[in-house]
Order: sequence, then C-alpha cells, then structure tokens
Amino acid sequence: MLQTGNYSLVLLIQLTLLAYDLFVNSFSELLRGAPVIQLVLFIIQDIAILFSIIIIMLMMFNTYMFQVGLVSTLLSRFKDLLFFSILYLILSICFHCWVLNLRWLESNRFVWTDGLQALFVFQRTAAVLYYYYYKRTAECMGDPRFYEDSAWMRDVFARSRQ
Amino acid sequence: MSILSVLLDSTGFYHLYTVGLEVEMEEGTNKRRSDSREPLTPEPQEPAPQKKKKKKKVPAIGRKIFTAPSLKPVLTKKRQNQVVLSPDRKAKVTEHHGSDLGAEDDDIITDTQSPIPQHSLFSAPHAHSQPAGRVFVERNRRFQAERLEQFRHSDLMDDYLDPRHMWTTRDIAIRVHSGFRVMGLFSHGFLAGYAVWNIIVVYVLAGDELNTLPNLLQQYHRLAYPAQSLLYLLLAISTVSAFDRVNLAKASRALRGFLTLDPAALASFMYFIALILSLSQQMTSDRINLYPTDNQTLWPPGSERQILQPWIAVNLVVALLVGLAWAIVSARPDIDYTEEFLMTMEVEGYPSGDETLEVPA
Repeated sequence: MLQTGNYSLVLLIQLTLLAYDLFVNSFSELLRGAPVIQLVLFIIQDIAILFSIIIIMLMMFNTYMFQVGLVSTLLSRFKDLLFFSILYLILSICFHCWVLNLRWLESNRFVWTDGLQALFVFQRTAAVLYYYYYKRTAECMGDPRFYEDSAWMRDVFARSRQ
Repeated sequence: MSILSVLLDSTGFYHLYTVGLEVEMEEGTNKRRSDSREPLTPEPQEPAPQKKKKKKKVPAIGRKIFTAPSLKPVLTKKRQNQVVLSPDRKAKVTEHHGSDLGAEDDDIITDTQSPIPQHSLFSAPHAHSQPAGRVFVERNRRFQAERLEQFRHSDLMDDYLDPRHMWTTRDIAIRVHSGFRVMGLFSHGFLAGYAVWNIIVVYVLAGDELNTLPNLLQQYHRLAYPAQSLLYLLLAISTVSAFDRVNLAKASRALRGFLTLDPAALASFMYFIALILSLSQQMTSDRINLYPTDNQTLWPPGSERQILQPWIAVNLVVALLVGLAWAIVSARPDIDYTEEFLMTMEVEGYPSGDETLEVPA
C-alpha cells in the first residue's frame, strides 16, 4: 500500500521537475549570454524529463495492479502520458541539439529558420500537453485502488485470462 | 468511566462510592445533577472502621471506603456533580473543590465488573460502566498506563485526532489539484491583463496607422523577448489549468463539452489556439530583440511594416483570446471536471465505493 508520506514526497519531486522544465522552456532564450549556460540548462532539462518518466514508471511498477500482471491494462490506461512523454523527450533533444549547434560559436545571433521555428512550436506545444498529462497521471496514481485488491481489479483480471 | 462519590456522614468520614458512568454521556449530566440532590445518602450499616488505608480498592460498586477526615477529597470537575453532601458540610467541602481537586490515581475506584446491588440508591446509569480511568499506551513495545485526562491532552492523542494523519493519497492528490487550480485562476487573470497591457503598449508605440514602427522597434526591443517568455509561461500554466477543468484526457467528454459550448471546453480551446499563435511569433520576437545589433541584415529599410504588421495582428488576437477565455473561466470558476474525476475515480463502470474485497489469508 502506498504510504501518504511517500506519495507526497514523490509528488513534490515530480512537480519540482515539471516546474524546472517549465522554467527552462520559458526563459532559456533569455539565458543565452554564453552557449555553455544553455548547454547546461538543456542537459539538466533532458535528464529531468528522463527522470520524470522513470519516476512515473516506478510508480506504476509499485501498483498492485502491475504486480498481479495487469501490465497492459495499466499501460493502456496511461498511454497518453507515455506517448507525450516520449514525444516531448525526442522533440526536446532534437531542438536542443539544433539550437546549440547553431549558436555554439556565436550565441547572440539570429538563427531562426522555418524548420527551427516549426520544431520550436511543436516542442513547446508538446511540452504543455506533457505537463498536463504528467500532472494528471501523478494525481491519478494516488488512487488507493491501484494498490489493493478490488472487485474491479478481479473483473479485469478475469477478463484478461479469457 | 468510574465516578467517585463522596458521602459525608455524621461522624465526619468521607464515604467514597464508585458509580459507573459513561464519560461521553454529557447530556445526562444535568439529569444526574438533579438526581443527586435526592436523599441518596445511605445510612451506614455499620460503624466506620478506624482510618482505613485509602489505597484499598473496593471490589464492587456501592461499597464504601472510609477514609480519615484529613484526607482531601480530590475530585475532577466532572465528578463534582456526583458529590452528595450533608447539608451542614456542603458549604465547607465546596470550598475545596475550586483549586485542589486534581485527581489522584488512588482515589479512583475502577472495579465495576461485579453486579450492582443497590440500584435504587443511585440515580446515575451504571449499566455501561467501563473502567477507563487509565488508558494503556504502547510505547517502545511496552504498554504504559496513562491517566485518561493526561492522554487526552498529550501530543499522542493530538496525533490520533489530527485529521492530517488520516489523509489518504487521494486526498493529497485532490489537494494538490485544488492548489494548482487556484494558481491557474490567478494565472488566467494575470495573463489577460498582461496581454491587454502588452498590445496597448505596442499600439501606442506604433502610432496612428502604424506610422512610427521604427519608434516601436527602438523602444520595444528590450521588452520583446522577456515579454514573449513571460507570455509562454503564463499561457502554459493557463492552458494546463484549462485542460484540467475540461478533463481533456477524457476525449469524448471533452469533445462533447466543446460541441455543447461548455465554458471550460471553450476556454481550453482558446488558450490552446493562443498558445500556438504566440509560439509562432518566436522568430519575429527574436528579430525585434536583435534590432540594435543586426539592424541592417534583419531589418532592411522599408521592411518594418511587412514584418511587424502580422506580429501586431497576432498579438492582438492572442490578447483577445486570453481576455475572452479569462472572462469565460471567471464566470464559472467552479467548473472542474478533473477534480470530479479524482473524487470519483470511475474505472470502467466501477465507481469508487466500498468495493475493496476482503482478501482471504
């Protein structure tokens, strides 16, 4: 059974990672005095996204539902989050590599092309969807029924065995 | 809880009686008060023995303990109601009650298990008496006796009664969600005001019919990128908050809400469109930001109107969208389908209820 204190701590860590991600997405363009600043910010941001995905996966592994073998049911329930998390991670890495490559020699110059602008829009839009689904899933993982036996879970288990 | 009764007889001895009472029976206090004024004092059946030790415990209710006159009757406030005094000593004894009536362990007679032979003598109900003068608290794998009154005021009891310790993980999730909703509500308003202020500043600097665009570039280039960053931050928070309200993850319900012009769905759509429009102007914002450094290459003469007119128009649309969305959200700030979902946590036709099974060992 998930303890209240543990859940609060994990939720706090998750929200902190999301807040850092939002901060970098918002203000990284302003912090481009030196290319190394953006490099460090982007590396930490990508690691934070990866950590967030690992944490939410570990929360799923910790559920009773996962432990009794209803993995596909659990994953299909949160498939939106998994999709947007992976999409956002890929878009972020691509955008960071592209921008840093263009700005590495001279950080304060105009680097925008139509392709970079399109990638920027997709990455930032995916970020908002990722925030929404991640926060929602982290809150849904607080449902005690994921961590205990229930009639619903037995029904799902019986259907999956058929 | 056992209640102590003190009777004074003509010999000056205190007669201690235990009467079984439920502590929680507050409503019966008045009745007991009135009843206790009845002539309940039984005549002693036999002469009082000489100075019995007060530690002697009475095995049955109704048995007397004869104590020396020097023994202070120590009674708790609640027990004062049970004191039956002879008229001539009533005033004298009452003086003691104010200050030094702290209960001592030895004055509590807790044995109430045996049948009560003298029902008629005591008006107080004693059928449900419980020996609860002490409670036993497990500490360090040992049970330690504690006075009930002390236990009630101890931190341990506060811990048990503190509702925060009874929170479930779902309560925490709902609380976090509610906190974010408040932050989102603030963000909606701040974003609307900021976007309107931004577009007013742009139009003022651009002049009538956009005739002073170089002035706009000269004055606004410092603000362009910070404004764009702040706009994205507020739009991201507001959009997530609006998605929360409409519970976007339930796509069918969100689509139905949008088709039926649900306020939350409309606001979500507006914020999302405003977000994309705002992001699409990132290139122009950076171009404005670099106006003093790359003046010749980025801003060839005569190109200001061609570049800035769409940028101003998009900013105007963004300001209108976020302003309208804020008005819609503010008109119905209570709509939050995600919170309802978190409270019910419906899963495939199984509403959240007492469905937890008793798992056989």
